[in-house]
Amino acid sequence: MMHLADAAISLELETPEMTLNVGPQHPSTHGVLRLKARIDGERIVEVDPVIGYMHRGYEKLAEVRTYPQIIALLNRIDWVSGYANEIPFVVAAERLMEVEPPPRAQYIRLILTEMARIASHFLFMASYPMELGAASPFFFAFRERERVLDLIESVTGGRFHPNFNRIGGVKPAAGAGATTKTVIQDLPAGFYAETRIAMDKVLAVCDELEDLIVGNEILLARTKGVGVMSAELAASYGVSGPNLRASGVEFDLRRTEDYLPYDDFDFWVPTGENGDCYDRYVMRVHEIRESCKMILAAIDGIPSGPIIAKVPKVIKLPKGEIYMRAESPKGEVGYYLVSEGGTGPYRLVVRTASFSNVSVLPVLLEGVLIPDLIAIFGSFDFVLGDVDR
Amino acid sequence: MSDAQSESLSPHDDLFVYAEHVYDVVGFADPVAVRNRTVKAFVKRDRWVDALQKAKNDLGLVFFSWLSAIDWTNDVQVGDPPVGHVKERFEVLATVADITEGRRVTFTTDVPKDDARIDSLSKVYGGANWFERGAFEMFGIEFVGHPSLRKLYLPEGFEGNPMLKSFPLLSREIRPWPGSVDVEPMPEASS
Repeated sequence: MMHLADAAISLELETPEMTLNVGPQHPSTHGVLRLKARIDGERIVEVDPVIGYMHRGYEKLAEVRTYPQIIALLNRIDWVSGYANEIPFVVAAERLMEVEPPPRAQYIRLILTEMARIASHFLFMASYPMELGAASPFFFAFRERERVLDLIESVTGGRFHPNFNRIGGVKPAAGAGATTKTVIQDLPAGFYAETRIAMDKVLAVCDELEDLIVGNEILLARTKGVGVMSAELAASYGVSGPNLRASGVEFDLRRTEDYLPYDDFDFWVPTGENGDCYDRYVMRVHEIRESCKMILAAIDGIPSGPIIAKVPKVIKLPKGEIYMRAESPKGEVGYYLVSEGGTGPYRLVVRTASFSNVSVLPVLLEGVLIPDLIAIFGSFDFVLGDVDR
Repeated sequence: MSDAQSESLSPHDDLFVYAEHVYDVVGFADPVAVRNRTVKAFVKRDRWVDALQKAKNDLGLVFFSWLSAIDWTNDVQVGDPPVGHVKERFEVLATVADITEGRRVTFTTDVPKDDARIDSLSKVYGGANWFERGAFEMFGIEFVGHPSLRKLYLPEGFEGNPMLKSFPLLSREIRPWPGSVDVEPMPEASS
């Protein structure tokens, strides 16, 4: 039933609907994401994200590669935290083979994973305020991010694509030998001291960054109460990681999955109150601090010994299937590995965090103002390589 | 749980108990594999949405992790074929999890290739929307009741379903792998 008066008002205020095209080449899309937005004045009626500009077909490629070759592929999915992407795959392969990596290798993996998390979160903390018009945090965050990338490079040889994991452990340094017990050359000389210095600097810049954000009226006005996502909505769309925790869910795969020795460390899992853009930003600041503390504790308590278990020269996994997931900086990254007993998988399902995180955008962007569009989708911290696979 | 393979797990294992719990609550989901914190449960195709609805409401598995499919066939264009004879079919898999304890269940069902259709989960889990579009373009499986079943990654006009085992990998066709540099045969496995 519609009253005549209502009909008159809606007639008077009616604006013609337009289509606004954002991307695929837009500075705030972190790659090539295209948003087709139907807008009514300043309000968004409907958003249809168009993805696939960077689809590289990893699942198909994996079917013709051997297991060690796949590790090199996987760290290119999310290039911002490439190291963290390798972990669930090698752990899945190790569980199928029933190989246990030595404790020292597990600690090295943990340290590098947390460094990848810091580097990834710093990129977000640099670029997100930039999208909202604040340029200073960019320089603070990028300076310290470079220190962390230098540390990763000093161990693995690569800043973004380490390819450092081997099934059974981590790559032995040149000349170190797989099971060297006396001379450990797995971590470069001076690594511990460098790490301690870098972590102190990172912790200091976290405080500075927090000041820059918490004390910035404009940034608060643009992020507080904007893009509120309920925990139910997030879970139903598979939104994971810091984005899920910002909605008040205290859930971290580092606690529930035993893929790395996280049980040895006490760490706080921060949660947000409102699930808005501000909370999603602050989550990352807290997580960097926790990662720093974990790295410092890990280099104090790192066990000595071999860094790679005894594995056959040609890796063949027994027939079977396994799903392994891990907490990457962006959320749940997981691999469903189906082995038919060969040197490569019969099928590898790649579950990436950004894909699910972006899939919730059409729901969240319905009815918001155009300026909030950038604020909301920027706050999810996605990388298009991780969306498109 | 007659056909459950308890892969080197004792019946007292916590996960095994959970698998029985899944069987009791859902009623028609048979745990077929219990391993690495994952319970894999088989349901019939016509009860697919029912099972996932029960998992969400009664088991508390509110987190939609992923959905995908496997093309089971002995006649493959890419990779190595399965060891033994497999029944020609699509296996559709959906993994759901909770967001408290880290429990997860992978539901699986068989879809015949000559009638490749299954009910859509998008009304139960919003996240299924994009995953089903992905499985639709990559395998050609039709998800009945999906709000807008169209291509996700591939451009309009692309023909074929690239993840099918009958779909050749073009780059491999042009230049066989390993490349001409690796002329030596692969060494045999030695443990």
